[in-house]
Amino acid sequence: MSTVPAAAAKIWEQNATPKHRIQWCPGCGDFGVLAGLKMALTRLELVPHEVLLVGGIGCSGQIRNYLNGNAFHGTHGGSLAYALGAKMANPELTVISLAGDGDTLAIGIENFVHVSRRDPDVTLIIMNNGVYGLTKGQDSPTHGLGQSHEEYTEEDPPFVDPLRLALTCGASFVAQSFSGDVKHAAEIYAQAFKHPGFAVVDDFSPCVTYNKFNTYDWYKEHVEHIPDGHNPADKQAAWALLDEFDRRGKLPLGVIYQESRHRKAHSRLPMWDEELAEASPEPMFKLFR
Amino acid sequence: MIVNNLKLLVGGVQLRDGVTTVTDLLGKMFVRAGLHILAMEKGYASTIYGAHQYDPVVVSDAPPLSYGDDRNDILAALEFDTNPDAPVQPNRDTILRHGPNLKDGGVLLYDSTTGKVDTSDLEARGIKAFPLPARQIAQRELKREVVKNTVVTGALLRLLEFDLDYVLFGAYLEERFGRKGREIVDLNLEAARRGRAVIDEVMKSNNWTSCGYRLEPRKASEPTLLVNGNEALSMGAILAGCRFYAGYPITPASAILEFMEAHLPKYGGRALQGQNERESIRAAIGASIAGVRSAIGSSGPGISLKVEEFGVSGVTETPVVIIDTQRAGPSTGMPTKPEQGDLSMSVFAGHGEIPRIVLAAGTVEECYTLAFEAFDLADKYQCPVFLLTDLTLADGRRDLPESFFTTNRKPVVRHGLLHEADLKNDGYRRYALTESGISPRNVPGMPGGIFKMTGSEHDEAGMVTTDPPKRKAMFEKRMRKMQTYLKEDVKPPQVYGSPDGVPLLVGWGSTKLPMLDAQARLRSEGLETCFIHFTHLWPFPVHLVRPLLQRGSTVIVVEQNYSGQLADLIQQECLLETRRVLKYNGRPYYTSDIVGGVRQLLANGTRVVRVGERAPAVMLETVPEGD
Repeated sequence: MSTVPAAAAKIWEQNATPKHRIQWCPGCGDFGVLAGLKMALTRLELVPHEVLLVGGIGCSGQIRNYLNGNAFHGTHGGSLAYALGAKMANPELTVISLAGDGDTLAIGIENFVHVSRRDPDVTLIIMNNGVYGLTKGQDSPTHGLGQSHEEYTEEDPPFVDPLRLALTCGASFVAQSFSGDVKHAAEIYAQAFKHPGFAVVDDFSPCVTYNKFNTYDWYKEHVEHIPDGHNPADKQAAWALLDEFDRRGKLPLGVIYQESRHRKAHSRLPMWDEELAEASPEPMFKLFR
Repeated sequence: MIVNNLKLLVGGVQLRDGVTTVTDLLGKMFVRAGLHILAMEKGYASTIYGAHQYDPVVVSDAPPLSYGDDRNDILAALEFDTNPDAPVQPNRDTILRHGPNLKDGGVLLYDSTTGKVDTSDLEARGIKAFPLPARQIAQRELKREVVKNTVVTGALLRLLEFDLDYVLFGAYLEERFGRKGREIVDLNLEAARRGRAVIDEVMKSNNWTSCGYRLEPRKASEPTLLVNGNEALSMGAILAGCRFYAGYPITPASAILEFMEAHLPKYGGRALQGQNERESIRAAIGASIAGVRSAIGSSGPGISLKVEEFGVSGVTETPVVIIDTQRAGPSTGMPTKPEQGDLSMSVFAGHGEIPRIVLAAGTVEECYTLAFEAFDLADKYQCPVFLLTDLTLADGRRDLPESFFTTNRKPVVRHGLLHEADLKNDGYRRYALTESGISPRNVPGMPGGIFKMTGSEHDEAGMVTTDPPKRKAMFEKRMRKMQTYLKEDVKPPQVYGSPDGVPLLVGWGSTKLPMLDAQARLRSEGLETCFIHFTHLWPFPVHLVRPLLQRGSTVIVVEQNYSGQLADLIQQECLLETRRVLKYNGRPYYTSDIVGGVRQLLANGTRVVRVGERAPAVMLETVPEGD
């Protein structure tokens, strides 16, 4: 991705919390996600008033206020379902769900599974750090990435792989990025926004305060760009790629799977007085005569 | 001879015997003949096949005041052999359950395919029994078992001396089966004639000239619709501008979801079957954020699962209409039985405090009219609006003139939704502090109107804050909306009769009709009362209610729940003592329950009377051996 002109990027800083007020720990991976988002949004020439950012609960969800654009912030685990409803109501909006790994894969996993099936034109960026940062570092479902356990317990199970889960559930765009590689992440986000369906981006966004294992350095050692020859439209190749990276103990960065589904087009639902005034009751009345 | 005034109960095995096929068909014909229908007691089980099902239908000249008591004039028993629910009672289950409630001099029609039933005890009460081997006629003579119910219909038409030229019946068959071919229509007509012939024979052999009841067509003054509460509510919602509806399958709210799935797309809307109760309400909130009038529907257990989102709607100030077709709780409770147990949940559920509005329909008509109000109020006050109905209303059918629906339709006005022209000045603040508490609302997509909405406490711009003065101001702004509502929109309870110095009968929900009926019966017995029916339950209109209730001699709240949830609310808000008549046995209120309960309260001075002890026409739990 080319460098974005500074003036254009400034658009995304209006109607937002000033930079000096951002309440993430210094060095938080979420800064990278924020920078990547600004780059991608600017690059695609999206306009803030047509964007709806739906934030999850946690450190990550605060990103909705650090960026221009309409924003909504509801319950823990709910962001994808709000995003689904908003997008169904108004397909002209760019709807982006920004949530953490706990929000997405623990309390909100029901929505992750079923929104993957439903395939709305919504982008989900999982700001994945393996911990619940805002409640001071409890394990999340992605905790344990790269760590080998002698034995597991009910209290301490193996981690959930959001990529495989997304593939299984039918997400039509599955990608992975690393907030320590902002330019690449921005490229992935832009592709996700352009994808006409549900796009999942699992973004490694290190928690510098509570995850002392999956650090920037650890990620840098383990991430690897997906080779050019990979065909994202081939689902078998996607599975094979994940297995192959696993075998080598590496984490793929890039688009793992992308295949647009045939979708029935919908218009924005009627909402203004004049759009609703003409509704004839006859199709309903005739059922009951 | 009783003309145009009867209660017909059709009973049989659920799914198999087609109880509602018969009542739907007859209901439609009666309404087309200018008669009035009220069928509010549909009894069914939370299983698909095999349990007993029954459907009492009141038919009359004038719109019936109420469905009255559990006494029936005509009983049609459809089961032809063993009911899996009662294996030792071949073709007698419906008779055993409902025979005791058949009025003296009434009529019993039953399927005698597996043999005649000993009905001497009923006949001793002057009841005319008509054995009809309907299934045998259908299977052996007409070679199509499916027309069994048409044989029964033909017999019932003959008994009631109604539509004997089959003008209405023929027209119905044409509509229903015309496309499938002439033979099907003719087969059904023949089936009806065979049923009629059997009745003729029984009449002749007993030297009866009539069964004692007759229906006479009246001149239908205008087109009339036969609808239930769910249907009336769904039509109201669509005409009120609801264009996004979400629900998760649950009795008895599923029918609303099915109606919306079938009809919303015709109006440009969408209906979503949620993958769970939470997805439903969250998606509806999402659609509402985007500006669309949105609703969800469920029943008690599903509503419980949505509670966290009440707070989201309240604090983010996102309107959503929450339809609760109450059923008997708690927990799974009795999914197919009525109760009014969700009032306290609607008013209080959730952590913290939010502005919310609770409305409750008492009749099929109010299901329609309150739907318009619910969407208007949700728009104006940007908070969750609860529209409570209950199972009695959800499944209860009545006829209403088409003009009722057209004259009560209200134009859609999107209160306070900003247009692009309103947003010329920058600095839009989603949660602007206003005197009314209502902040102008904007939808995404508007230049100059970017908003930040959150369920965290926030300032006027929607930025998260814990600053004490800001918190206090924002909390008060939200709650101020309820004062504005009480000033501008709340409706007082409906008052029937003069409250001065007489006992006040107070109720809400589907008890309205039996309450009115009970009031009339008490009056005819010399006891004057005043009936007060609540539709607008929260915020509680203390200023309207307290002075009203103080005019009566005593306040008797009649509710279909265990503790008296409205009574508690009245005591809490008005600081007035209430007495209670309560019923929670899973059957609707009958007029006699209310009359008896009120009489008992007044006679012995107690605070609470619990009615419904008498087992209402249930089968014996154990049947003596050898029976």
